[in-house]
Amino acid sequence: MHELLAEFGNKFHYYGYFAIMMIGLYAMIAKTNLLKKCIGLGIFQTAIMLFYVSIGAKEGAGIPILDPAVGTADPAAYANPLPHVLMLTAIVVSVATLGVALALVQNIHRDHGTLEEDEILQRLRGK
Amino acid sequence: MTGQLPILTIAPLLFGAFAVTAGRFLFRRANYAVASLALAASFAASVLLAIQILTHGPAIYFVGGWPPPVGISYVADPLSALMLAFVSGAALCTFLASKSEIETSYPLKNSAFYALFLLAVAGHMGIVVTGDAFNLYVLIEVAALSGYAILAQGRERAMLSSLNYLFVGSLGASLYLLGVGYLYIMTGSLNMADLSAIIGRLTPDGLSGSTALAAAWGVILAGLFVKMGLFPFHSWLPAAYSFSAAPAAALVAPLTTKVMAYVLVRMILSVFTPDAAWGVPAINTLILVLATAAILYGSFCALAQRSLRKMLCFILLSEVGYMVGGAFLGNRAGLTGTIYHIFADLLMTLCLFLVAANIERGTGGRFSDMGGLFRRMPVTAAALVLGAASMIGVPPFCGFFSKWYLLSGAIAAESYAFAGALVISSLVNAVLFFRIFEIGFFGAPPDHTGQADQAEPAGESGHGHPGPIPFFRDEMPPARLAPLCLVAASLVVMGLLTGQIVRLVVDPILPPGLG
Repeated sequence: MHELLAEFGNKFHYYGYFAIMMIGLYAMIAKTNLLKKCIGLGIFQTAIMLFYVSIGAKEGAGIPILDPAVGTADPAAYANPLPHVLMLTAIVVSVATLGVALALVQNIHRDHGTLEEDEILQRLRGK
Repeated sequence: MTGQLPILTIAPLLFGAFAVTAGRFLFRRANYAVASLALAASFAASVLLAIQILTHGPAIYFVGGWPPPVGISYVADPLSALMLAFVSGAALCTFLASKSEIETSYPLKNSAFYALFLLAVAGHMGIVVTGDAFNLYVLIEVAALSGYAILAQGRERAMLSSLNYLFVGSLGASLYLLGVGYLYIMTGSLNMADLSAIIGRLTPDGLSGSTALAAAWGVILAGLFVKMGLFPFHSWLPAAYSFSAAPAAALVAPLTTKVMAYVLVRMILSVFTPDAAWGVPAINTLILVLATAAILYGSFCALAQRSLRKMLCFILLSEVGYMVGGAFLGNRAGLTGTIYHIFADLLMTLCLFLVAANIERGTGGRFSDMGGLFRRMPVTAAALVLGAASMIGVPPFCGFFSKWYLLSGAIAAESYAFAGALVISSLVNAVLFFRIFEIGFFGAPPDHTGQADQAEPAGESGHGHPGPIPFFRDEMPPARLAPLCLVAASLVVMGLLTGQIVRLVVDPILPPGLG
């Protein structure tokens, strides 16, 4: 029991990101409302960003700006900035994805007057 | 100048997209010319690059002058250089063939369409040439996002289909990103060549030595399979490609699945080595089962379709099964078949989707509208015959040679289910296309072209049409036919050049020890 807790305590960020990712996936698969699916997609992508950001964290490490007192000799003294930089790009990508998705959702709502996927499919089949 | 060629293949497209967007209010009329020029410049640079690489060997371009592993590198080796030439050539042909179609399908929005088209091509070419695993993710999204936007225009269902494609596609790309994250944790690098070296050091006896690396490979594979529409992840593909307007489908359908298969090959060859990638037999077996299922599912669903474009979408699904299966047979012939089939299938799909666009405009895309096709649209019908012969696998078309390599790979790997699926799929393709030929030759045209609702079942409605149908009655203008004829002819040319392509492009890429 103790080892299990220690294992969980050491790797809690992995469990956390995985749980959030599965919540997002559930929303994308199980919800019929298109807007809720968009939210699910957002949660899914954010979970992966969380995962990346968490791997850059380091206990006791400073911000990654070159400090003459520390020098470059000891990389352990700095937090790893690269995952954060990558995620800035990923955030931009996810904003663009969500933007395109919302534009499509808006157009679908204008055409059909509803965002429930089964109602839209019923209307399309009825014609 | 020649050192800058890898970036010059993509730069004209990005600047062209910007120029078209900026010029949409000022120089509307010039926009088509600007976009064509950008595509032509990119194609010219790609061809020059391919010639340079094939004569002088691979080149690496450092974007912004930063050497790897810190900076992003663009790697031009024989495989990526030829792929660049094929992608840009396919895009140029689609664009030239679709001028009138774009103007009628996207009224008032054609400048936006041109810009998105250029961005989509730039994204696909970037995926091919980049040597950085994270940059690859960004470019996948560049290609996909512009793809969603142009696929959303079209018939009434296009919007919903495109949104579903967006959900599934973003999921796939996110899974890829997650896999890259695992790779980064284990190696601390994102450059593909660097990754490969570090992975080799970390796990000298295969991926089974490291759970995290095996997980990374699994997650990346899952992401790529979602993006290329392998069997259980395919549901978005037929809807997204068949309800959209024809030019968008003719661009995205040949490029996306093939470029994703190219990424799969890149991952096997350049990031993980073949030994590591094929190191877990259970995964290989599972993927071969999926590929076999994809081939059979695509073929039999294609039999049930009643419209040309929908049928082509399901054939595309089975072609994805060919490429994935060949990559996991675990031998040289199979991988050669996959790489060759990426090029061959790009041309075949392009040819058939351009044909479908012409037929939809000329007679209507349902089988019941296509009576008398060979008299009404002889040139388009001839291109259809060439594309179909290549899909079926008639020598000397390129489709025959990729099937040959795949089949010999399957037999060498003793994977008889996959070999059987390949043969069955060829036979089903023959049935599919000869059914269209029969309607086109013997069926009578419906009274109102394009009004399929009043059409009688073709093949048995010969009564009430006394005079023969005039030749060329519904044929498209030469501007639409010339690129199509070029693509159709290239199917034969590529088939005849098979030996050279394998010797110059495939063999230098594969590791020498691969059996």
